[in-house]
Amino acid sequence: MQAWKAVVLFNLALVVGAGWGYAFWGVRAARLERELAAARATALSGVEREWTVEGVVRAIFPELNVLVITHGEINEFMPAMTMGFRVASPKIQEAVSVGDAVRFTVRGVPPNVAVIAIQKITR
Amino acid sequence: MLALGLVARWVHLATSIFLVGGSVMIVMAGQSDRPTARRWEQRTLAATRALAVVALASGLVVLSLQTALFEGRVAAALDLAAIARVVVETQAGHVWLVRFGLLVLLAAFLLLRLSVDRRVDWRAARGEGVLLGAAALLPIAAAVEPGTARAIALDALHVVAAGVWVGGLVPLALLLRAAATSEGSDARPYAVLAARRFSRVALGAFAILAVTGALLATVHVGSVAGLVGTRYGRLLLAKLLFLALALLLAMVNRSVLLARLGGDGATVGRPAMRRLSGFVVAEACLALAILGVVAALGVTPPARHDAPVWPFAIRLSTTALEGASAAATRALIGSQIAVLGLAGLVAAATLRSRMLPLGALGLVALGAGAGLALPPLAIDAYPTTYLRPSVPYQAASVASGAALYRESCVACHGARGAGDGPAGLNLPRPPADLRAPHTAQHTAGDLYWWLTNGIPAAGMPGFGARLSEDQRWDLINFLRALSAGDAARGMGTAVEPDRRWLVAPDFAFAVGPTPPRSLKEYRGRVVLLVLYQLPESRPRMSQIAGREGTLAMLGVEVIAVPTDADRDAIRRLGDDPRVLFPVVTDGAEAIVATYRLFAAAPHAEFLIDRQGYVRTIARSRGQAAEMEPLLAQIQELNQERVPVEPPPEEHVH
Ligand code: HEC
Repeated sequence: MQAWKAVVLFNLALVVGAGWGYAFWGVRAARLERELAAARATALSGVEREWTVEGVVRAIFPELNVLVITHGEINEFMPAMTMGFRVASPKIQEAVSVGDAVRFTVRGVPPNVAVIAIQKITR
Repeated sequence: MLALGLVARWVHLATSIFLVGGSVMIVMAGQSDRPTARRWEQRTLAATRALAVVALASGLVVLSLQTALFEGRVAAALDLAAIARVVVETQAGHVWLVRFGLLVLLAAFLLLRLSVDRRVDWRAARGEGVLLGAAALLPIAAAVEPGTARAIALDALHVVAAGVWVGGLVPLALLLRAAATSEGSDARPYAVLAARRFSRVALGAFAILAVTGALLATVHVGSVAGLVGTRYGRLLLAKLLFLALALLLAMVNRSVLLARLGGDGATVGRPAMRRLSGFVVAEACLALAILGVVAALGVTPPARHDAPVWPFAIRLSTTALEGASAAATRALIGSQIAVLGLAGLVAAATLRSRMLPLGALGLVALGAGAGLALPPLAIDAYPTTYLRPSVPYQAASVASGAALYRESCVACHGARGAGDGPAGLNLPRPPADLRAPHTAQHTAGDLYWWLTNGIPAAGMPGFGARLSEDQRWDLINFLRALSAGDAARGMGTAVEPDRRWLVAPDFAFAVGPTPPRSLKEYRGRVVLLVLYQLPESRPRMSQIAGREGTLAMLGVEVIAVPTDADRDAIRRLGDDPRVLFPVVTDGAEAIVATYRLFAAAPHAEFLIDRQGYVRTIARSRGQAAEMEPLLAQIQELNQERVPVEPPPEEHVH
């Protein structure tokens, strides 16, 4: 065989191999990314969900039906922070006072959620 | 097992490198119609074929040993399923796969019988050999750690340059030897030309090796202590030694022996050629030794991740000159003489005439200058001098260090560290004042050595047997906070522009049952850390809570810490006015113990800048005061340009 033909062949193999490898990994990475995004989206799509988390009551606004709670991470919804939550019924906030460590349940279609149950915990 | 792994790596590396070099050497020498030259080319090609097979075989051995290492059992080396797992699932496996694929391609190409009589064919075939060989070398670089693009590019350049220089040596020696025989005289002009070309290319390759090697060393070693104090560093020194010897040989080859081959190639003496070939073989042996060291380096943790053991009783540091003007003058003059000497040496190396006297003069000046400049720079050093603390500079560590200090050290060093304890009165030397900034002249590793072994001549006892390693580091972190606190007495409520020196020790805290957070998570924002005490601080706390909206708008995070570490602190603060910033209910003890060292007042406010340095301290009894000055300070910090320099170190040093 003439050498230059063999060389062209081998270079072709090299390029095809590199391209195939890149396509393989690139495609795989892209697919994983898409799957991850899809999983995130379904988690947050318009279905009603419910979480139970722990926190501390920081303030109570009876006239607004709002409780301000410093809470831990709410899975797939929000990180740990201090924020106000609507309460489903005024009774809920009457059960707690500022400084209480609590375990509370929020339910709703994110971002529209409300506290439906709360309970003091002792540490 | 380890020895086998090392040998396998060495063989694999050496064959891969020689493979490239052989192909490069053939290309450099060029196509020839002389029978001896053709025979040499065929022999070199045959050798590359054999090398490719050996490289493939040793690559398999390396992979199987690597598998045994990953799986932690010897039997895994022969377990095909385990090997497949490593190839498919680990990064090292992926790199191996790519490399092996390229090597197979190269071997297949080399084993082809191609007709190369035409010039294009010859060029294409030999060039392809170089291309495939270099491509197979490149993935070695992808395995370097840390895998930044810069480190990978440097490493890639480094291995290819090594391939060109090292790999070309043996074929060149063979060519010279063949041409030096009486039958081989037809190839002499060819050999001389090849030697010249190689010499020129090797010089360039060597320069690339030196530059990329030096840059890689700063990545992997990073410090003098790492170089002389770790196994990795010492291996690197061995590599450098071999490299220096090889360079010396190469220079002799180039400037003396190669010059003698001058003139009409056919008539030059065979002895010179033989000698050159012998020297080239010696250079190749040194190169093999270097590759052995490189294989060993590949299985040694980089110096950066290793604890250096300083081998000398002294170290050199300019901090020795602080406050000693006579010594500083002496060091300055000495260094200038040394620089002159260095200039002389450089001149001697570049100028052809007066080489000897200039060189001798330069050497003498260099020696004298160093002799003058270095002694004042010497500071006592210990094996642990460059040891990195294994416990970070954090409030929890400082607090346990403070407790240990009260137990073991107060008797001599005094309650405040002033060196005025009662037990210190009748010691050979008075106990040291620990508030002095001893971290300037002494590393944390020095303190560690003293704490471990004591200072027998002075009466300072050693605590190596009584305190654990972590406890000793806790004490050192406490000593750092203690002397920082002494310096912080002068810090007030005025922001000193661009002066950052008081590192805010990191701490972990929790608000109620929420997961713990750390101060470090607030980097990039200004933090107002308030140590308060009820009921005295109530007016001030109400004031801060009342302005929370303004503070939030300025991007300030407030963290309030009750000095009595009350776990019911939030309830006690109550809801009038509403307090919504984090009030620490877990971890307050350590924060208070540490930050009280910086400000002993009942109520203290620390303004911590975006980089994690305490910039102002307001000490009070908790009474209400104007808020505007505080807001102005925050504004000042917000408007400051954040320097690009890295944030404070996690550890004492
Ligand atoms: C028996 C008395 C004694 C006790 C107990 C003692 N030291 Fe010392 N320490 C000394 C003396 C004396 C020196 C002065 C050494 C010198 O002058 O070189 C000293 C020096 C030091 C130094 C060197 C300071 C410097 O900058 O040179 C450190 C650090 C130190 N001590 C820490 C400690 C710690 C921490 C403890 C408790 C674990 C401790 N010492 C317990 C007597 C004591």
